[in-house]
Amino acid sequence: MAEEEQMKFFWRIVDLIVGGIFIYAGTIKVLDPVRFGLDIDNYKTLPWFVSVRLAFYLPWLEIFCGLAVISRFLYRGGLSILTALIAVFIGVTIAAKLRGLDITCGCFGHASEHWSFPQHMAVDLSIFIALAALWFANELQRPAVQQ
Amino acid sequence: MKLRAVREGVILIALAFLPAIGEGIYFRDKVSWQSRIPASELVTVDQARSWGDSAMWVDARPDEEFSRDHVPGAFSLNEDHWNELLAQFLPNLSRDKRVVVYCSAESCNAARDVAKRLRDEAQLKDVFVLQGGWEEWLKKSK
Repeated sequence: MAEEEQMKFFWRIVDLIVGGIFIYAGTIKVLDPVRFGLDIDNYKTLPWFVSVRLAFYLPWLEIFCGLAVISRFLYRGGLSILTALIAVFIGVTIAAKLRGLDITCGCFGHASEHWSFPQHMAVDLSIFIALAALWFANELQRPAVQQ
Repeated sequence: MKLRAVREGVILIALAFLPAIGEGIYFRDKVSWQSRIPASELVTVDQARSWGDSAMWVDARPDEEFSRDHVPGAFSLNEDHWNELLAQFLPNLSRDKRVVVYCSAESCNAARDVAKRLRDEAQLKDVFVLQGGWEEWLKKSK
């Protein structure tokens, strides 16, 4: 039983870290949506009028999903969206690299501006793995949580 | 289970629209919604050429591309060697002239970034980005 509690505590910490990362990343982008629009546009995947609108929308989605993961309210929805977002992001980053684009993602503000491609990938894959782990942990804990 | 995740996801997607729309309304006059660079900051090749000597050309491409070929009379000013190149450019600058910045093509960012820095750091007002960049210049020169 104590071990189960420890595991629950561990996963709550992971919830807080992952949710916190997305709230932080979303807040930075909310403060400068135009910069984020340019960052999206640099991937040369979408036309500008779509990129700029996404730049206003996606940060709020990140924040709301981050809050959902931390508060455990709409938890599965939050986890699903964040997993999908990070998967799409990893995909377009790899595609951009293959097309020879030199991308500055700015996902975490100035801190990430000079990250290399492997650094970006390492961070993104870590987040993706953490989100996937939360999914499985939630599935395993579900009967206990519902009691 | 999956249905619940979808339902919760839809709620979150819908909720995020509310502040996003509010922020969009707040920024409505500060953002160029239809093009990456506001139309007022863009200039076509024909228009820039018609300015003749009252235009100064700035090449924002990397050094090696500038060395290969460039608009006649253009100054090289890229962000790789910003301080050094800006110091070379400024003494040649005439404040009453229009500055036309270009990079490789329509999709490059360098011209926009250099133009912004010239406005912000060199306090220049009449700075324009060449629509279509060097690619367009070559097409029009054929």
